[in-house]
Amino acid sequence: MLKINWFSPLPPARSGIAHFTMQVLPLLAKRREVALWTDQDQVSPEVQRIARVTRYTPDDPPWRKINDGAISIYHLGNQPDLHGGIWQVSVRQPGIVVLHDLCLHDFFFMLWIHYKKDRVSYLAALERWYGEEGRQAGQAFCAGGIGAESMAQRFPLTREAVQGALGVITHSRGALEALGEAPGCPVAALDFPYAAAAESRYREWMAARSAAPRPPYRLVVFGYLSRNRRLGAVLDALAGFNAREQFRLEICGQLWDEANTRTQIERLGLSSLVKLRGFLPEPLVEQKLSTADLAINLRYPSMGEASLSQLQFWDYGLPTLVTRTGWYASLPEDATAFVRPEHEVEDIQSHLRAFLADPGAFRAMGERGRQSLEHNDPEKYVDAMTQFAAMALRRSPLVTALALAGRVGNDLSAWLHPAASAYLLDRASQEIVTIWPGKPRGYP
Amino acid sequence: MKILIATSCVPFIRGGAEILADSLRDALRAAGHEAELAAIPFKHYPPERIPDHMLACRLLDLTETCGVRIDRVIGLKFPAYLIPHPNKVIWLLHQHRTAYELWDHPRAGDLIHYANGPVIREAIHQADRELIPEAKAVYTLSQNVSGRLRRCSGIGSEPLYNPPAHAGLFYNRPAGDYLFFPSRITAVKRQWLAIQALAHCRERVRVRFAGGADSPMQQAECDNAVRELKLGDRVEWLGVVSEEQKRDLYANSLAVIFPPVDEDYGYITLEAMLSSKPVIACSDSGGPLEFIVDRKTGLVASPTPESLAQAMDALWVDRRCAAAMGEAGRARYEDLNISWKNVVEKLLC
Repeated sequence: MLKINWFSPLPPARSGIAHFTMQVLPLLAKRREVALWTDQDQVSPEVQRIARVTRYTPDDPPWRKINDGAISIYHLGNQPDLHGGIWQVSVRQPGIVVLHDLCLHDFFFMLWIHYKKDRVSYLAALERWYGEEGRQAGQAFCAGGIGAESMAQRFPLTREAVQGALGVITHSRGALEALGEAPGCPVAALDFPYAAAAESRYREWMAARSAAPRPPYRLVVFGYLSRNRRLGAVLDALAGFNAREQFRLEICGQLWDEANTRTQIERLGLSSLVKLRGFLPEPLVEQKLSTADLAINLRYPSMGEASLSQLQFWDYGLPTLVTRTGWYASLPEDATAFVRPEHEVEDIQSHLRAFLADPGAFRAMGERGRQSLEHNDPEKYVDAMTQFAAMALRRSPLVTALALAGRVGNDLSAWLHPAASAYLLDRASQEIVTIWPGKPRGYP
Repeated sequence: MKILIATSCVPFIRGGAEILADSLRDALRAAGHEAELAAIPFKHYPPERIPDHMLACRLLDLTETCGVRIDRVIGLKFPAYLIPHPNKVIWLLHQHRTAYELWDHPRAGDLIHYANGPVIREAIHQADRELIPEAKAVYTLSQNVSGRLRRCSGIGSEPLYNPPAHAGLFYNRPAGDYLFFPSRITAVKRQWLAIQALAHCRERVRVRFAGGADSPMQQAECDNAVRELKLGDRVEWLGVVSEEQKRDLYANSLAVIFPPVDEDYGYITLEAMLSSKPVIACSDSGGPLEFIVDRKTGLVASPTPESLAQAMDALWVDRRCAAAMGEAGRARYEDLNISWKNVVEKLLC
């Protein structure tokens, strides 16, 4: 049976990916033997009840134990404290990389510049994938001459994260190609898994929401609130909206720059309308979402990631404002209200106006979102993931073949005149393909 | 015929495979053919060196030499058996064992300790599946090797037994007061297990070890174990001995102890039988079990110090039984009709 090594942030880490793992892991552990690997200081006891957890040191992983598994699955996102160690292992041992974010520039910048104080590696990676232009942009960025959002969009460094991988899983169909960062290995685009609540529970939430006295209507912003969550635009839109007293906004989650947000709320005179709630435990999450009327789930620039928060909003039948970008742009038109990145304030205000005019239309939008969750069945996700892993594993000899081809090319170019090396390169290439054909004997 | 024997070698290491290659060359010459060894030096670490050597073998052209056709290539060892030739037969001594049955062996496993070990292992598996069937025929050293090849690579083959070098020169003498353990000193031969077993023997069994160590570390481990278990007066390390000395040591022993892990073939078993000595092996010893008849020509113990000690004690106290088993072993060897003539005929047909 295919034993799987699973490298992911784990609870109690404040990470949507840790939450994702807890959705998927119990189902995976029923189908396959799973070994969980972590470099976190703490792991919640409930995780250890599902699968055995082993600690590793990223600089010196216990390969002997890791190699008891048939394949490793690495979960990468933009939090260097949670994903730095995972990435380090993934570079040394090819496996399946699950990209929870597609633009990983922030990850690499934070990892190399802030954590490792290694400017050379950061600039080398930019040069590796984007040439001299990338290196110069990296130098300018380090000097403060280019914005982080622009860097992430122009130089996402996704290929740096997946080079040598046996396979890549994304939750965003076609987004890698759109980024121009398609890796040289199989890619599977799987619908982000989400276990929807039982229909009876959903009906209870809807009934409670309908029965609550309105206005004011409750707006909610949720999740790990990094700078691309557009909180500034949301606050500006609310402050400039004539009927703002009809709304109350609750901001729930860890803020990347809480002090600045508090200052902005005070400056805009929104202190009575906007509350910062911080990271919420599960029971409070339910209480907030089941009583909210509209969720605001903006991303710009998008790091390409699928949004667990979005699926949670739909689970509660919450209509949602999303940016028309990345994964969000592929969401059903009738289940979301889109905000154009270049017209954020204008569009937010327009949707708030429409909401006040016809709250029922927005409730129907939330209902359709809830229905769309059937595509996100975690059972289907786990089946697709394990099938993909098995397929990718069969292709693993190609990793050896490519590495060998690279070594041969480098070696020959060091001592042989280019005119003379053509024959030898051709012979070596032919034999490498003979030894490790793309379609191995006996495999469909 | 002009015949090249393609094998690989680890410089300064000599064991059964090297003896077999020399013996095959001599047998081919004795049958009237021109035969040479083409031994490719092989360094198996770090793991990325392995595909380098595989490619190097594939780039060799052994179809002719100085304008004269080479009629046949006989491939013996990984990765040399990957060398292409239109008239290649493989007589497989073994595949790259740490990519297969020794992958997770606690002492012998090496690839498993590397980050890229799994992908290199898969690369070796695929190369074997793709390229071994290029040969016109695939023979193996033993049923054990054929079984592994079928299980791991899905490739059928025919076992082809061969006699030890100088088979006609082995002889028997009255049993002395030692068990003989001739073999390269390395983890898979399990000298360490025999040492641990000695500590469990009720009798004051003595063992004489002959053979060089693959590395100084391997010898040091054995020396340390002997010292820690206070067995200095019951263990003797003879190092590398001459062929004459070896035959003499066989002849004067009470029995031969040979408990390796999943041995491919095991000349030592056959040499003991030729010397009319019983053989003690383990139930996971592989090749030797194709020849030992438990309790008739030797004893098969479990691979634990306690069980092995029991077998060693049994022969130590019952010398008459040991002698009878040795005679039965010699008779069994004659019955097996193992000959180079048969090997040469098969490999050239």
